[in-house]
Amino acid sequence: MKKIKIFLMMLLAVLSFTACDDDDDSKQSIISEYSMNDQQVAAQKAKSGKDKAVLLVAFGSTWTNAFAAFDDTKKAYEDAFPDADVYFCFSSDICINRASAGEHGESRNYYEPRYLLHAIGAAKYKTVYVQSLQVIPGEEFANVVAAVKKFANNGYVKDAHLDDEYLKTVEIHLGMPLLNDLDEVDDVAKLLNDLYQDEAAQGVVAFMGHGNPDNYDSFKANIRYTQLEKALQTYSKNYYVGTVDMKDNYKQNVMARMQNNNITSGKVYLHALMSIAGDHAHNDMAGEGNDYWDASEPTSEDNSWFEFFNHNGFTSVVPQTNGNPLGLLELPTIRQIWINHTKNAELLEDAYHSMYPEE
Amino acid sequence: MAIAAGAYSISTNAQNSKDNIAGDKTLQEVVVTATGTGHLLKDVPVQTEVISHKMIESYGGKSLEDILEGLTASFAFNEGDMGSKAQLGGLGNNYILILINGKRLHGDNGGENDLGLIDPNNIERIEIVKGAQSALYGSDAMAGVINIITKKHDTQGLLLENTTRYSRFNDIRQRNGLGLRISKVQSYTSFQLQHNDGWQNTSKEFAEGHVVPDSRNKTTNKFTNWQISERLTYNPTKNLELYADGYFYKKSINRPTNGNYASCDVYTYDLLYRNASAAIGGKLFTNKDKKDYISIDVDWNKHAYYYHYTSKTYEDAYIDGKLEHGVPFYPGKERLQADQQRVMAMLKGVFHLPYANTLNVGAEYRYDYLKAPMRTANGSADDNTGAIYAQDEFNIIPWLNITAGARLVDNSRFGFHFTPKVSTMASLGDFRLRLGWSQGFKAPTVKELYYRYLHVMGSTTFFNMGNTSLKPQTSNYFSAGLEYRNERFTASVTGYFNKLEDMIALVNVPVDELPKDVTTGYLGDGSGKVTARRYKNMENAKTYGIDVNLSYNIYKDLSIVGNYSYLDTQANMYDTDHDRMKKAVIDGMAHNKWNASLVYGHRFSTLYRFGASLSTRGSSKRYYENNGNGKHYQIWRINTTHDFGKAGAEMSYKVELGVDNIFNYKDTTMRPYHLGTNNGGTSIYASFAIKFNKGKKIFNHNYKQNKKQDEED
Repeated sequence: MKKIKIFLMMLLAVLSFTACDDDDDSKQSIISEYSMNDQQVAAQKAKSGKDKAVLLVAFGSTWTNAFAAFDDTKKAYEDAFPDADVYFCFSSDICINRASAGEHGESRNYYEPRYLLHAIGAAKYKTVYVQSLQVIPGEEFANVVAAVKKFANNGYVKDAHLDDEYLKTVEIHLGMPLLNDLDEVDDVAKLLNDLYQDEAAQGVVAFMGHGNPDNYDSFKANIRYTQLEKALQTYSKNYYVGTVDMKDNYKQNVMARMQNNNITSGKVYLHALMSIAGDHAHNDMAGEGNDYWDASEPTSEDNSWFEFFNHNGFTSVVPQTNGNPLGLLELPTIRQIWINHTKNAELLEDAYHSMYPEE
Repeated sequence: MAIAAGAYSISTNAQNSKDNIAGDKTLQEVVVTATGTGHLLKDVPVQTEVISHKMIESYGGKSLEDILEGLTASFAFNEGDMGSKAQLGGLGNNYILILINGKRLHGDNGGENDLGLIDPNNIERIEIVKGAQSALYGSDAMAGVINIITKKHDTQGLLLENTTRYSRFNDIRQRNGLGLRISKVQSYTSFQLQHNDGWQNTSKEFAEGHVVPDSRNKTTNKFTNWQISERLTYNPTKNLELYADGYFYKKSINRPTNGNYASCDVYTYDLLYRNASAAIGGKLFTNKDKKDYISIDVDWNKHAYYYHYTSKTYEDAYIDGKLEHGVPFYPGKERLQADQQRVMAMLKGVFHLPYANTLNVGAEYRYDYLKAPMRTANGSADDNTGAIYAQDEFNIIPWLNITAGARLVDNSRFGFHFTPKVSTMASLGDFRLRLGWSQGFKAPTVKELYYRYLHVMGSTTFFNMGNTSLKPQTSNYFSAGLEYRNERFTASVTGYFNKLEDMIALVNVPVDELPKDVTTGYLGDGSGKVTARRYKNMENAKTYGIDVNLSYNIYKDLSIVGNYSYLDTQANMYDTDHDRMKKAVIDGMAHNKWNASLVYGHRFSTLYRFGASLSTRGSSKRYYENNGNGKHYQIWRINTTHDFGKAGAEMSYKVELGVDNIFNYKDTTMRPYHLGTNNGGTSIYASFAIKFNKGKKIFNHNYKQNKKQDEED
């Protein structure tokens, strides 16, 4: 048997086409991608003559209404930072790929943080602000930090290294997510109450955040949702904050807390506590109809919040603007908190540690 | 089942008698699949369904899928971006073993086979054995075995043939063949091409929280495939045949690149496949009447799957051994996703023994190799399986046959497993009673164990993940069938029950069940959603059904055939969230499926033969776990055939004209919800075939000759 096996494996080895390694090709592609971004950013810098750059980092989206929200955010930043060139990037490859090939409206070219940071470095902006558009300092924010670290330490592939002398002098500021610390939780609670107090007077206002699954909970950021609910409840007991992915804070846990407060019926206004309203806001939160309700498993993650509360004695309401629920970036007062974060972003002192640390 | 086959053979013979092919009146279809030895269909001890060559010809199907859907009630197909997936008796591709002349078709090692590899113009007949009833081919065929018997191209001299078919959606099917025989060496070379522009039943799609009116996703994507193959045979002596064969096959599936919505109909790459095979083998007849033989086959197969980029696409890649995100792949570039290779060696023998015993024994060795740089943790994975089997046919008394066999499988990961199979047949006048029981065993495939990939389907994105803690699947299949046949009428009823344990399925899991490193790049902040799915052993599944087949030879030129299949399934899955068993739907299951054909054939002169068939097929509602159920449907087709030229003449011509889906039924259910059928509506088609054969034929479809040799290749 063993001999047969060896014979067959040899046969396989002879017959197999030698698969070409795509390592070298990939390396060339990534270098040319750096170079293309470098040229675009250099052209922008030459045109504007500014030496300050702001890089906004979102996870990304493929939704038309989200593209509009991102465009408006970029515009708001340009107004707030007249002395800076503002760049916008996605950290999700899939979102970048699909956005660039879509035909409705303009084709939207987004780039990864690494490419734009590299290009900003190659153009030698003196001051660089990197602003995370995340809600909590969780998993996605950790990726933003990693990209900044890579930039500061010149961790790019060989042949795409930046000028080390420049990196020693560049001022890098890191803007934190919306609910970075407890003070901001209070600020956001106040602003949300300003927006939704009328609804809270008529029923429950339930926010749906994303959250990180337990084993993804970088920085233990999930606690921000609990803190926000507590802060909101200082205004009204009708505010609740749940999530899609945070353990023990799903829709059923929200309802249990409502019931503990003796709220068992009435209106439930549903809002997304996410930077934009995409798949989760439209389907997991606002999804309406049989496709979003499986009675045999009421707490299934495929059952929407809308149907869940409706089937549990409440009346769900999803306030909409132009046919969509709104994301936080579409609320000017909340968006201003992100802008303030950028303005107050801390300088990363001694960010530059070593040359090519990852090689 | 066998009865349907019988039905076909009746109608076949009705036509044949005019064509002077085998003048006998009786039921002469010979089948080989279940036992590996040639049997008249009426005498085969294991339930076998046959789609005869004549039935295939009179139906005018453009593809194997078309033929299986239209001529048996047991099959269904599920639509998919990467082509359609077959389903037999409620069980999917994974459980169906497709053989070409008794040899395993190589496809995706998750079990999905590309039916485009099989040229419908080259099919002589199709045999279907349900359940893991035959010890000969592998106990992993829990749904059943489809054995495609291809046409023989034996010729003395020169054979040239071409068939071209054209229909709506720029559907082109072409086959070209060149056969040569010089002394003891024979060669057959063929080239086939299949193309379709794809179609869209509706431009509506549920995406971005509402119905978008102008999605560009197609119901069936544009595809093109071609294949070149060669077979060389050499007969050094009367009792020895040696062969070498191989093919190269390429298929591309083109998806919308100019989509309207980044969220649902935009793709930045097409799908590309390259398959190849090479085989050598021989068969030695050990006695004069060519009843006993020993054969050996060694083959290598490759199925490689690539992305072919249509616009710049950022992906993960290794650079200097380090994983980098956001590496651009530019339009025109190809990137290997999975290269699945298999080497098989098979040794078998058939021996007729005293006391009416026929013994079939064999040994197999199989090595599977998967290279998937970005889709497995280590870049590749492999697996090997050895098996030995023995099956004996014993005619205890003239009216009672028992066929018993067993297969012992040794898998490199899961060890030894023994699977017995028993079939009995009692012949009581024109009645046949058949009973069968068989066990199946299927070790998790390399793909189910190790593969991980992102699967974007319209607006839905899945992250699918292998699972190294899977257990093998096992099955018990029971069947009982009663058949009646006389010269004009056949009827059969077969009931079956298939019980599968530890069935493997790709099921939704909480995202934190997946390792963090593989998914963080896909899980966002709420703007998009990735559904995590993982292969799991569902606790159990049962499928049970009844097949009814009827045929009536109204008069010598006209016959009617009908098939009906009832199916029900039950699957239970352990729900870890709630610590309880949860019912699960086996996707694509329909309770009722049926088809019927009225077939006419008459030779009006020595130079012209006319054939026509009116067929219908339908299905009741199809059930799915996610995204709604598929609507019931019924579709009608008319086909006519026109044969010009004398039988046995050097030149012969054939024209086929027909209309598929006469009443223009189209399921316009929007994406991402399921369709009952993806048929694109009425389609008129025409096919022209020309054949030149110079030299004496050494083969014809005469039972008496066939009977002399066990046809199992």
